[in-house]
Amino acid sequence: MATMEIEGRVFEVDGDGFLADPGIWNDEVADLFARYDGIAPMNEKHWQIVRIIRRNYEEKGMAPMIRTICRETGLKLREIYELFPLGPARGACRVAGLPKPDGCV
Amino acid sequence: MTNDQLQHAIDLLRPSGDSRLLTHLNSCVHCGLCAESCLFYLATGDERLTPARKADLVSSIYRRYHSVTGKLLPWLVGARELNSESIDEMVELLFGSCTLCGRCTMHCSIGVDVTFLVQTGRKMLSEMGLVPATLQATVQAAVETGNNMAIPVEDYRDTLQWMEEELTDEVGDPEARIPLDKPGRKILYTLNPREPKFFPLSISAMAKIFYAAGESWTLSTRMYDVTNYAYFSGNDGEAALIADRLWSEMKNLQAEQLVLAECGHGTRAFRWESPNYLERSFPFPVMSSVEYIAGCIREGRIRLDPEKIRERVTLHDPCNLVRNGGVVREQRYILQSFVPDFVEMTPSGIDNHCCGGGGGMLSMSEYNEWRMKAGSVKAEQIRRTGASIVVTPCHNCVDQLIQINAFYKLGVRILTMAEIVADALIIEHETRIAKQSRAPLK
Repeated sequence: MATMEIEGRVFEVDGDGFLADPGIWNDEVADLFARYDGIAPMNEKHWQIVRIIRRNYEEKGMAPMIRTICRETGLKLREIYELFPLGPARGACRVAGLPKPDGCV
Repeated sequence: MTNDQLQHAIDLLRPSGDSRLLTHLNSCVHCGLCAESCLFYLATGDERLTPARKADLVSSIYRRYHSVTGKLLPWLVGARELNSESIDEMVELLFGSCTLCGRCTMHCSIGVDVTFLVQTGRKMLSEMGLVPATLQATVQAAVETGNNMAIPVEDYRDTLQWMEEELTDEVGDPEARIPLDKPGRKILYTLNPREPKFFPLSISAMAKIFYAAGESWTLSTRMYDVTNYAYFSGNDGEAALIADRLWSEMKNLQAEQLVLAECGHGTRAFRWESPNYLERSFPFPVMSSVEYIAGCIREGRIRLDPEKIRERVTLHDPCNLVRNGGVVREQRYILQSFVPDFVEMTPSGIDNHCCGGGGGMLSMSEYNEWRMKAGSVKAEQIRRTGASIVVTPCHNCVDQLIQINAFYKLGVRILTMAEIVADALIIEHETRIAKQSRAPLK
């Protein structure tokens, strides 16, 4: 298991930088992970997206469809790609403390 | 691991009627010319990562168990046992530092199919249950749920409904549709699950092209996944199972023709490998969506606005579609038909460098660091073109390029072929209706 240091805090992560233990996630972790990707600070829209992803993961054990994120935040698809330039998976899901989704992402 | 598994792996190298395997296992002359064809060697300068070393790793195990000198005097012929040391090396070299891009095979001075040997090594590892966990998870999701991201069918429907709304807005026609499970249509189209899950604009883009062409087409809810990660994991049984579902869905929906979404390995695994997995030949034509779009332009079924894309555009060739799949000219024909400032990368076409995310690498978190390092070659190629848009007809390449773009600060936009074409599409309602009356929707 790899580790990643962000502003003095050390996290256990997988090779892609996704949190090894999603259980230790909290707002502070989200903020630090976002900083690592150059999103500093997260604005209200970033938080809305992250919270919906997190809730879906806690309820259903997987990342939500981008459809769900758009519907529940009222944000446009292109806005989400702009807010998280690495995309919904490697960008937003990582900040939300999820394990890396399977597939071509 | 059991002794049986070990023996099965060794048996995969047993000389049988297959002269292909025997030829390639015994032919490398160690000239070293392959080194500079390899992304991993170019990016790291590490001699262990050269294609010849990967080929020799597999060959050395073959010699140990299946050649007389290798059995009696293994040290004399560099024969190696299949043990924990050589197995670890196999996992690292054959999964962790090879994208199966095939460039070494093309450059080999005597024509050794290095990729085939790496693939054979992966099959051995698969026999031993040593496929990297993240890659196996993607295969497992496809086998168990019917798509590699385990998308529930109601979520899939919901997303397509949403994209249909996008489409009707975009073309200004409330009757425009994304047809689902319609039997007897001419074309069955497929998707990469990352499209409905996270990047659905390529779905509405392709639907817009079908709309403009007045095409008779459908998507399926039962089997739409174009990918086949078992091709990467080396498990032919699972690869056959996944491929067979698409064959069955063609029959089920009585479609005439299969159009594969923009996916390099999916195209290769289905179009070129599935007849081998399933030991039968296609009763229907199979083509990539790139060939389909090029055909529409050539036949005048769609028109593109040459004023629309003003930026400089370059093209990334997905290895499995181009070098290993034979689709080389069509993507250039499409772009040159409407992009005034189109520039090639160097090298390009069948000699193009892999993006670094092929061979299942993108899904294997274990090797993220090497993947990003390997991506430096592509980053430099892109930078040198001065382009601000990179088009690539492969969703896997798209994701790797998105990461390279951020990591190497390239400041480009990455688009699929359907997306850039849909952006420039001229929607002519009258023409479309005329086309439909000539070829009525079934």
